[in-house]
Amino acid sequence: MHTYTEKIQNLAKDVLKQGKAEMVIGFKQGTIPMAANPFVAKNENDADNLIWSSTCGLNLANYLPGIKKCEGKIGIIAKGCDSRNIVTHIVENKIDREKLYIIGLPCTGMVDKKQIALLFDDEITQFSEEGNTLIVKSETKEEKINKQEYLRSNCKTCTHRNPVIYDELVSDLVEEQIIEDQFADVKKIEAMSSEEKWDFFDKLTEDCIRCYACRNACPLCYCPTCFVDESGPQWVGKGQNTDDIKTFHYLRAYHCAGRCTDCGACEEACPMDIKVRNFTRKLNKDSLELFNWEAGLDISQRPPLDTYQPDDPDDFIM
Amino acid sequence: MGNLLEHVGIEKERVHFSWISSAEATKFVDVVKKITEKVRALGPNKKLKKQYN
Amino acid sequence: MKIIKIDKKEWEQGLDKSRKEYHLFGAVKDKDYYLIQALGDKVYPDMESSDTILSPKSVIFPQTEKMLTANLDEAQDNHHIMERVETDYSPRAVLGIKPYDAKAFKILQLNFDTEEFKDPYFCDAYAATTLVGLAVNNPGQFDFSTSVDTGPFDETDLDVLLIDTGNEYLAKVITDKGENFISKCGFDNQTDEKNALETISKLKKKAEKAIVSTVSHDKLNGKTILELYNAPFWDDIAFSCINCGTCTYVCPTCWCFDIQDETKDKSCIRFRNWDTCMSRLFTEHASGHNPREGKTQRVRQRFMHKLKYFPDKYDQGLMCVGCGRCVKHCPVNIDIREICEQMNS
Ligand code: SF4
Ligand code: SF4
Ligand code: SF4
Ligand code: SF4
Repeated sequence: MHTYTEKIQNLAKDVLKQGKAEMVIGFKQGTIPMAANPFVAKNENDADNLIWSSTCGLNLANYLPGIKKCEGKIGIIAKGCDSRNIVTHIVENKIDREKLYIIGLPCTGMVDKKQIALLFDDEITQFSEEGNTLIVKSETKEEKINKQEYLRSNCKTCTHRNPVIYDELVSDLVEEQIIEDQFADVKKIEAMSSEEKWDFFDKLTEDCIRCYACRNACPLCYCPTCFVDESGPQWVGKGQNTDDIKTFHYLRAYHCAGRCTDCGACEEACPMDIKVRNFTRKLNKDSLELFNWEAGLDISQRPPLDTYQPDDPDDFIM
Repeated sequence: MGNLLEHVGIEKERVHFSWISSAEATKFVDVVKKITEKVRALGPNKKLKKQYN
Repeated sequence: MKIIKIDKKEWEQGLDKSRKEYHLFGAVKDKDYYLIQALGDKVYPDMESSDTILSPKSVIFPQTEKMLTANLDEAQDNHHIMERVETDYSPRAVLGIKPYDAKAFKILQLNFDTEEFKDPYFCDAYAATTLVGLAVNNPGQFDFSTSVDTGPFDETDLDVLLIDTGNEYLAKVITDKGENFISKCGFDNQTDEKNALETISKLKKKAEKAIVSTVSHDKLNGKTILELYNAPFWDDIAFSCINCGTCTYVCPTCWCFDIQDETKDKSCIRFRNWDTCMSRLFTEHASGHNPREGKTQRVRQRFMHKLKYFPDKYDQGLMCVGCGRCVKHCPVNIDIREICEQMNS
């Protein structure tokens, strides 16, 4: 059992008992190995089902806009990136700070489940962790691996593991990573020729089934009707046409510009293992370089795309 | 906007941004001339052209 | 029944011979996962493959399928008349399909091929297809096929069942379609039926015993629709769902589709796409009214359809073959087995 599990359960019970919040959004144990199921605890008994593990990679901030029936406060367990998306929700007036009771969770990274699965020829039947060691079993073999080597790619370059906003903490803050080159992956693509870039993204999206799990797992994507679902006018065709598929990805990325926290929920959710962060990360890099901006760090700051500064970069205008 | 298009493989010279007032007729003509020259040099666009049938 | 012995060394040669008549489909690994694909020249199916992410239903019911075309040019005689598009329905064979995935075609057929209505696209593709199954000797932990009236050796909808015995396949030739395929491959080493059947039955027992995952649904029939519909658990089940529809896209038995028209200049095309009951748009009316407005209603629909409406309407068991794909690929781990147990209790 992860050391955070018991702490989360106790904190949640206390929060619910004292009425600090009416419910607590967290994770419960999944029904299959390496799965965690987002779950809302409404009373102290429910709180016994809350867990924590390195497989809790989805972003719980995604569930906040959907909660309609709640008189009191909503409690939520938030790792670094979740907390940044909560800030983004607050900044975008999706939810009131006053409405939230945030249980901050200093994070040590989430694991890349697909990469771990590749270590095995057969299915994984058991997964557990002890500190930095992951113990993964299948019918035919057992692997003990170092968690740091199997982190999701966004966790490898994360510099905001500690929640940026919270009412209470699950543990002491953890040390932040110092990353030499945050955007090496983006630079690699930038160095390609136009043709190579085009082919790279062709290959990247060729198996996309347009389930929109990437969009639906993303806390930023809360529009009541997404542009891809609009029918009058229809902005994007609905078939499995490569240009339509790419148009979806381009436009979704634009909608995340200056807002994406690189939480990785989109990639985590994709059934086809498509690395959709290749789109958003370019915009994250630009936001940082052009506006010195990282999304969701401070509730008192307006995002760059909704403010104008006389010194905003404008050398693209001819 | 231009940056992401360039990033996914649309040639930079195909996409231009300008700020022209309705009173700046000559600037408009100049800009359009420059753009057409640049785009012509690239040849016809084959990307993001949906095939219907 | 004819049982043919196929030396694995001769398997690929045989397939090459069959290509004269058949388009072949099978599991291939391009990136890190398996997909069912049309096999180009010298490409062979990976018979050792685990489940493909998407089921083989796309071979006869593609995600996007062109149906009709029309031209809008009034100068032409046939303007504004919808005509069926020409599609190649020459013989195709799906190699190494899992027996329960093949059984799923029978379920799709209940929808697309009825006394009253025949969906020509489905029917033609289905008629053109030969299903060459591979018995599952080592079922995975998500496989609960034996709980839902099928199993690792189920022959229900197969034309040929291959059984892997190590260096050889035993090919049980079940239908005429199967016979034709096997003979086009040039496989003709008929083997002693009694011995072969014994081997098969041993392997079958072993495989069925190896299935660890089960689900009970015996009481669903005795419950009324409203009892289940109004059950208290739907909100809790639906909470974590992100309505992505992955569960329906990967499912071999989900058959819903949406029809779209696209027009450019004077030419118009009508095609269908897989649709999903998990999407809000699925039931949204032009007026804006939506009978399944909330997430809970949509999640409930999926499970009620599979586990109650379908069994009640067709009396052919559940609309699920226990492949476990939705369990494995749901990003938030909503597990049909757990929900079925809840409905059944
Ligand atoms: S989740 Fe993956 S398959 Fe689904 S739409 Fe997004 S990229 Fe495509
Ligand atoms: S686009 Fe992806 S990485 Fe960015 S906030 Fe959304 S889910 Fe997270
Ligand atoms: S795959 Fe899971 S999250 Fe997606 S619609 Fe189905 S049940 Fe909901
Ligand atoms: S409902 Fe799930 S387990 Fe059943 S056939 Fe469909 S994908 Fe497979």
